[in-house]
Amino acid sequence: MSASLAPECNEVKERYDTCFLKWYSEKYLRGNGKTDDNECASMFKEYQKCLQVALKDRKIDKLLDEAREDSKDYDTIHLKRK
Amino acid sequence: MVLTHTTNHSYTHPFPTVTLAFFLRYYSPQLNPFSAHVLSTDTIESHVDPETGRLYTTRIHLKKSRMPSAIIKLLPTSVTGGAGEKSSYVLENSIVDIKEGWMKTESRNLNFTGVLSVTEAQHYSATPPEQADNSALSPAVPRFMSPNTWVSTTFSYRSTLGSRKADKAVASEDNSRGRFGWISGWGAKRIQSSIESIASNKTDDQIIKSRDGMKMVLERLRSNGVVAVLRELNRREGKSVFEA
Repeated sequence: MSASLAPECNEVKERYDTCFLKWYSEKYLRGNGKTDDNECASMFKEYQKCLQVALKDRKIDKLLDEAREDSKDYDTIHLKRK
Repeated sequence: MVLTHTTNHSYTHPFPTVTLAFFLRYYSPQLNPFSAHVLSTDTIESHVDPETGRLYTTRIHLKKSRMPSAIIKLLPTSVTGGAGEKSSYVLENSIVDIKEGWMKTESRNLNFTGVLSVTEAQHYSATPPEQADNSALSPAVPRFMSPNTWVSTTFSYRSTLGSRKADKAVASEDNSRGRFGWISGWGAKRIQSSIESIASNKTDDQIIKSRDGMKMVLERLRSNGVVAVLRELNRREGKSVFEA
């Protein structure tokens, strides 16, 4: 089982991952996964509550913002020719 | 400058299974022995677009750094953080369109970007590339009848070392010329292209490993379904899953 970057989130992450993989393989891939409001939604919320704190603590939220900025630049330069 | 490297490959597995393997590829070293360098995997975004039915997923992986040591040696410790920083965060975005039979993924490093930005873009498709162009014309053979999946992978390497932007990112306290005053002009360009080519020389090895990893996950999925695979992994770890 893959770990979370924040060990304190491992348990909620594992519950969500298991749910997601089951939903993905049994519903989404069969064309039945139309909405966000699926059986994993509440587990995802729990998981994010834990994870978002960890991302802030480790300053990964800043890295994410930079990456979003950077990918805007990248797209303007490299996707122009399309 | 940007150095790019594109390769094409096909898996002898149907498209839906390949997308599942993509999500599972870092799940456990028992499932994919080539994933031992992945320390953690987290999902930060997951939603289905109600209009298109496409699944958008964003994940963050923490990997033991693959920054080649030849590059590390080129750099002052002010950039590498000394010997301490040995792992790097990777941001992975993916979109799956199960109706149209394609998946696009893009992974990029989140730290070390002041030195080198590596982007891996992949396009998976249930249709071979030569048919993709006129697929609008040919009446669709149901795509999922296809036993194969085609994937094109493009790595881009861009070193920003010594450029103004990188200076700003890593040397905020040094207000005159930035921490990279020691390399400037043509010197910087040369070091940048060395970094890009050292990194890109590692690509083939990396692509083969990640392909082999995908294949091992795919084989496991072929012989068992995902639920059986997960149950087996958890049983080995002494946990139960899907018990409810």
